[in-house]
Amino acid sequence: MNPGRWLALAALTLLLAACQHDPALNFPPGAQVLHLASQDDVPTLDPAAGYDTASWSFEQALFDTLVRYADGSIALKPDLATSWESSPDATHFTFHLRHDARFSNGRVVTSGDLKYSLQRVLTPATRSKGIEYYRNILGAEDYIAGRANDVRGIATPDPYTISFTLRAPDPIFIHKLCMPFAAAVPREAVQRWGDDFSSHPVGSGAFELKQWRRGQYLVLTRNPYYFVRGQPRLDAVVERVGVNEELEWLQYRAGEVDVAGIPSADFPAVIKDPRLAPLILKIVSAATDYLGLNCQMAPLTDVRVRRAFNYAIDKRKLLALLNGRGVIAHDVLPPGLPGYDPDLAGYPYDPARARHLLAAAGVKAGFAPELWMRADQTMLLLGESIQQDLALVGINVRLKPVAWGPLLEAVRQPSTVALSLLGWEADFPDPENFLNVLFSKAQWGSNNDTFYYNPEVDRLMAQAAPLADLHQRLALYKQAEKLIVADAPWVFLYHPVTYVIRQPWVHGWVLNPMRPTRFEKVWISAH
Amino acid sequence: MKASGSTMELIGAVMVGTIALVAVAAPWLAPHNPTAAVATSFGAPAPPSRAFPFGTDELGRDVLSRIIWGARISLTVGLAGMVMTMTIGVAIGLCAGLFGGTVDFVLMRFTDVMLTLPGLLLAMALVAVLTPSLLTILIVIGLVSWTQVARVVRAEALSIRQRDFVVAAVMLGASSWRLLTRHLLPNTMPLIVVMAALATSGTLLLDAGLSFLGLGVPPPTPSWGRMIDEAQLYLRTAPWLAAFPGLAILYAVLGFNFLGYGYLRRQGR
Amino acid sequence: MLSYLIRRLSFGVAVLLGTSLITFAIAFVVPADPAVTIAGAKADPQTLALIRAQLGLDRPIYIQYARYLDRLLHGDLGRSYIMRENVGHLIATRFPATAVLALCAMVLSLLIGLAMGMMAAAHRDRALDNALLVFALTLVSFPVFWLGLMLLMVGGLYLRSFPLGGFSGPKSLLLPTLTLALGSGGYYSRILHTSMGEAMGQDYIRTALGKGLSRRQAMFRHGLVNALLPLVTLAGLDLAGLLSGVVLTETVFDWPGIGRLAFEAIFNLDIPLIMGTVLFSAALIVVGNLLVDLLYLWLDPRIRLTT
Repeated sequence: MNPGRWLALAALTLLLAACQHDPALNFPPGAQVLHLASQDDVPTLDPAAGYDTASWSFEQALFDTLVRYADGSIALKPDLATSWESSPDATHFTFHLRHDARFSNGRVVTSGDLKYSLQRVLTPATRSKGIEYYRNILGAEDYIAGRANDVRGIATPDPYTISFTLRAPDPIFIHKLCMPFAAAVPREAVQRWGDDFSSHPVGSGAFELKQWRRGQYLVLTRNPYYFVRGQPRLDAVVERVGVNEELEWLQYRAGEVDVAGIPSADFPAVIKDPRLAPLILKIVSAATDYLGLNCQMAPLTDVRVRRAFNYAIDKRKLLALLNGRGVIAHDVLPPGLPGYDPDLAGYPYDPARARHLLAAAGVKAGFAPELWMRADQTMLLLGESIQQDLALVGINVRLKPVAWGPLLEAVRQPSTVALSLLGWEADFPDPENFLNVLFSKAQWGSNNDTFYYNPEVDRLMAQAAPLADLHQRLALYKQAEKLIVADAPWVFLYHPVTYVIRQPWVHGWVLNPMRPTRFEKVWISAH
Repeated sequence: MKASGSTMELIGAVMVGTIALVAVAAPWLAPHNPTAAVATSFGAPAPPSRAFPFGTDELGRDVLSRIIWGARISLTVGLAGMVMTMTIGVAIGLCAGLFGGTVDFVLMRFTDVMLTLPGLLLAMALVAVLTPSLLTILIVIGLVSWTQVARVVRAEALSIRQRDFVVAAVMLGASSWRLLTRHLLPNTMPLIVVMAALATSGTLLLDAGLSFLGLGVPPPTPSWGRMIDEAQLYLRTAPWLAAFPGLAILYAVLGFNFLGYGYLRRQGR
Repeated sequence: MLSYLIRRLSFGVAVLLGTSLITFAIAFVVPADPAVTIAGAKADPQTLALIRAQLGLDRPIYIQYARYLDRLLHGDLGRSYIMRENVGHLIATRFPATAVLALCAMVLSLLIGLAMGMMAAAHRDRALDNALLVFALTLVSFPVFWLGLMLLMVGGLYLRSFPLGGFSGPKSLLLPTLTLALGSGGYYSRILHTSMGEAMGQDYIRTALGKGLSRRQAMFRHGLVNALLPLVTLAGLDLAGLLSGVVLTETVFDWPGIGRLAFEAIFNLDIPLIMGTVLFSAALIVVGNLLVDLLYLWLDPRIRLTT
């Protein structure tokens, strides 16, 4: 892109910006248009790149994967695939594709497209954040290293059959195919647009991109080739960007926005309002927010000190700061995740006991650890509340807000960060996604940012991971979780609860535990 | 009504004096601990009341106490930042004015390059890179604000250099150091004093801006700019949270501005 | 005159080069590992190493700078780590909003400065003059973001007459423009006041008065024109200050301009975007200074003759 083109682009945008009414936002009367708003622009629409709620929310409208989650649940159901089989040892999976799925450019989706899409994710030049999830496919490592041109573990015997062979057994592999990373993209469109595919996405989903004016709005319209009759019910989805929480709320009250979040300041009033309360939707997200305690840094090496932290922090205060948008966490796994143990009591608020434990462990008066956290408003408030609580038991915490990138980097180093305020959201509905990833020795320097190690826990988790039998698997993970909670590498804080409010004329809006809401079945009644 | 110059200076001095007093006497003046939760309710701000004249914030902290303690940080950053700014600016300005020629050229080109970088953006980038702490903020503010001072001091130094007594000193073989310390510095001192006052108002505003953007002194140290940032969420339901710290900043900056402009006015400029 | 132009242009280019060096240096000192920023929280060490090699982060500094300069000369400002978009593209689409805001603010602040400055000059040394001085100082002492928030609160929340942020047409332009213009206006009014004072003390004014012009007429017909010059040039040179104010104003009003883009970039430590926006603002300022110099040249014949 040369400067001349930028100048032209800028001039054109200026001209268009001066016009108040945009042609792309004109719809015929009676059209079903869903109006949404958000503060930040959607980062990307390229399924290989996106790994956040906003991107996924639109990617799943534009693209399809082999399987998807049923509305409001974690049960798998067919999407591009009509049926599938998996081998008992969880190393071989075969999918049969439907014959009538088409991209928005008219072409039928074949198994070749799915293989291409996955290989694209595995290509280092794409810099996809999903590359980890497919490394286990046979031949993937060779492909990534450039030793092979083709991933031999992905076979396409005919245009409507695709099978995967893995290096090691992975009972949750199918869930990995449910992530937008594995969505089908047409080779010709990707090659045409290259790195700008995000601005010109072509997929087989229920919608296609009509227009995307960065920093201002995004418009989706229905894909005429979508394979499900009668869907989508909406004609278009419009998301206005750069709208802060306050503005979004006022626009919701004025009827200009159809589904909105509820600002903190208004929350207590809204849940008591008899006209608004019935329109509220909520779901406990499959996530846990925690205070990580670095088990390799003294005096946190002593389990008594870690337990003291757990007793010292008042989680109800945190929830009050969040306006009740959370449930207190007693253990690692969030409710709703298979393997969640409702009987694990965890640690109640007991500052006296905390002081006792700290004294028993011989913690000196000068102990002033640094609490690292992301530099955002909410995190700072929570951090300050935790600071207040710990001050009452004699620990002077110093807050260290940093940007996300440096935070992640620092936390992965063994002796830099003593305390960290983090959260973990499940990518798939299985304890492995929490426990193995966050607490095994193999993940030191990666996602096990508390540098926790318990050989017994590692043994249990290694045993459980390849088991396809759900019952056995969950039983072993349950034991592992009990040990982890007793060892207290975290202060288990809360599971966030998502609240949204819809307009009375919006129907079919379902909150999902693992994914953003899908637009296909949403419809709008006359108003 | 030329007397207004000294009136203004006086008012400015009184304003700055009160802030300094509040800052120094904070531990005795503040009714509550500024970082502890003292309000009866937690999670939502409470309006001004008999017990808490400026209200309390969402973490249950007394706003009045935070404003009083905030004076410490503001004044510290403002004054220390000003010292840094003045040191660099005066040094560069005097050297450029005294030595002229290549030295002047190089220094002024460097100043020009610094001038093309918007101060706030540069400060933001530096703080983000170096992670916020009291020391970093001071240094960054100083590094970003010296250009104006350098230019003005240089102009003054140039004009003084032409004066007879300086020319005489040069002819008598005075060394550069002597010229600098015995002739230039004392004669530019009035200007430097005024610039110091005005520079402080600038550093105060810069610090407030950085704190507002989340790049100031980290919590729980009360900082007026950050208090305003935290108050944004509650602008509709608790406007006093943003109003009071803003008034405090306005008061402090205005005080230094009155001091500086009042002096200028008195000199007839 | 031509040689003067060439000198100024080459000087501008040299300054930009220096700026690019400084921005590059800052980006280099950034503690964040770009690979982690790109690859995200759950990436494993192999992927990170791959990305680092791709970006050329393992090469020595001067090579990286050379490559950066090379790409720059071809108009490639790189790709944002977070948004994956071409940085030049991002800046081009966001710049118009800032340009509109900055232009309106500049015009309004000059008007405010003129009005206040003239009023003060007309009643020099009387009560109004002092009152205006205090008023101007107060305007200059407001923290820009706080002024914006207060205006937003009054205009958007209480009066409900203005939109609560965002760029949606002329009405949404008013509050942000006012926020920026009040402070600058106060500043300009003082400059005008001073330069008016100097202009009115000149001999040609005395001649004009001698010829029978009233003080008022002399002021407007001669004094103002000559006082305007330093004001306009100073306004032009104040671009850097304007851009700083723009960053804060855009944050308060959710204005989709490059000020907010720069802030988001810095917050996310999105290095290519940071470098792009800082370099772009520097370029704007250099161009602005050049234009001001040319304007000065055209308006003041004395300069033309000496160059």
